[in-house]
Amino acid sequence: MTEKAAIHDFVQDLLLRNEDRAPLVNDGSLLVSGRLQSIDTVEIVIFLEENFNIDFSQIGFDRDQLDSVDAIYALIQSAAAAR
Amino acid sequence: MSCEDSFRSAQPAEKALSRHPGVRQALILPDGAGAWRALVVPGDAWIDEAMDRERADEAVLRRWQKTYDLTQSPAAAATAPVGFNTISWDSSYTRQPIPAEAMREWVETTVASIFELTPRSVCEIGCGTGMLLMRIAPQCDRYVAADFSSGVLRRVREQLATVDSLAGRVELFERRADQLEDLAENSFDTVVLNSVAQYFPGRAYLLRVLENAARVVSPGGHIFIGDVRSLPLLSGFAASVELFQAEGSMSLADLRDRIHNRVRRTPELVLSPAFFLALPRHIPKISRVEIRLRGGRADNEMTRFRYNVILHVGPETEQALDLPFEECPAVDVALASIQARFSEGREPFALRGIPNVRVEQDLEALATLDSSDQLATADDLRRELSGRPARGLHPQDLLDLESAVPGSQVLLSWAGSRADGSYDAVFLPDRRAAAGGVNMPLPELPDLLHVANAPGQAAARAKLVEDLSAYAREHFAAGSQLSRIELVDALPAVASERDGLAAFLTRPCL
Repeated sequence: MTEKAAIHDFVQDLLLRNEDRAPLVNDGSLLVSGRLQSIDTVEIVIFLEENFNIDFSQIGFDRDQLDSVDAIYALIQSAAAAR
Repeated sequence: MSCEDSFRSAQPAEKALSRHPGVRQALILPDGAGAWRALVVPGDAWIDEAMDRERADEAVLRRWQKTYDLTQSPAAAATAPVGFNTISWDSSYTRQPIPAEAMREWVETTVASIFELTPRSVCEIGCGTGMLLMRIAPQCDRYVAADFSSGVLRRVREQLATVDSLAGRVELFERRADQLEDLAENSFDTVVLNSVAQYFPGRAYLLRVLENAARVVSPGGHIFIGDVRSLPLLSGFAASVELFQAEGSMSLADLRDRIHNRVRRTPELVLSPAFFLALPRHIPKISRVEIRLRGGRADNEMTRFRYNVILHVGPETEQALDLPFEECPAVDVALASIQARFSEGREPFALRGIPNVRVEQDLEALATLDSSDQLATADDLRRELSGRPARGLHPQDLLDLESAVPGSQVLLSWAGSRADGSYDAVFLPDRRAAAGGVNMPLPELPDLLHVANAPGQAAARAKLVEDLSAYAREHFAAGSQLSRIELVDALPAVASERDGLAAFLTRPCL
């Protein structure tokens, strides 16, 4: 499974947990649109820290970087490049 | 069949239902349509096991802790003004930061409420970024502050380092709210929990924290619980936010779904004043409970849908004042007539059921959604509501009356816990008349059934209802006629309450 597919699946699970069954497109807004709540971002952060070795205490936290599957993937890429 | 007959025929079924391990108490009542409904207080042990409570509670606390650690990592946090780091205070409506002016008023009104308790030795549980600490600690001999987020405590330490006068007077602990058992008994005159109870995983956790808080407060002291999210107004809050955010063309059916989902998915602990009013029965050291509306002119979710609680610790030395509560005068003349009576009279007086302008439109939106078949879209609803005149009184208008009468006091109470947001008020031309407090109107019976939501328990509670339905069908004849099983937090304790509840629930009685 590609990194982007793994992110997509995780976000999809998060939405399903909230009983949100609308389609998930990779560039669709998650937070600004209200599909996910701020507490859900923490789930994403924990997922990224545990699976992609990202340390938010080092790189800082910007909610906009988690607003879509594409944005999350871009964050992973830039964190990997910086290492 | 009379109500009395209905009870007699329901009793065997009630006993059978009470034998299910997931049931602590059960009450079966006619549902008014020829069948029965069951009110069930779930057994904590069953729910705990079904949801794996310990792990679930840990997960909730860990998520909130992480949230606060994260929000304090941006560079902005490090440069926030001393005593006014409002990062993460975002509006549920706009998802943008709450305006600084509104946050400033929120801080100042909260601090003023705490100063009324004349604190000298304070323990603040969940100090956050120190907005209260930086204002209250300078007036105290000792200030102990705890928070579970290392991120926010780092910011508080940075701020404290800039204020020499606070050196040695403030102690900081990185602890969770339930990890303060080592604080000595009777060692503080005030415990503050401001805007933190909503992050607790459930009411059992909150109760544990309050038991310990009462232990560490010396007799004559207080526990201040600020910014509590109101359960009676939770649906009104959800309606308010969802209508604000809805596209104009959204159908009212979709809007109803969104409101329902917002209520159901609320990740925070939301409490009825009734929870706090029951505390003296659980924690004998608490003698009196006040449920106060928040002051302020800012129009936001804190002033509309949250309240403050003051728990008085230790035996009361003065008797509480008993006043007859009168109906509020017609709203168009109410403020002027209250003002005249307050400034000219010498006698205290009390009014009940004052319509609340802060929330009336939100609650009208909810009621209209439930009742109207003439409107189709969110914009239709907005137009309908905008044409209605305001009928309520602004709580701050009443609080402002104090300034015209030196030595006076105006108390605004939400102890009534009514879902229409109305409040009760006591006007004391001489505040010394109520040194032992005032007996405020209490919740009526139906409002006592639900005292807290159950974040994180939805799946376990749904499973219990499913199990009980099957169990009822198997174990008693009336089970096949159970139209509904409702999980509640409490049942009426005495027969007369039970009669009253039955009359309320089953009108007209079968």
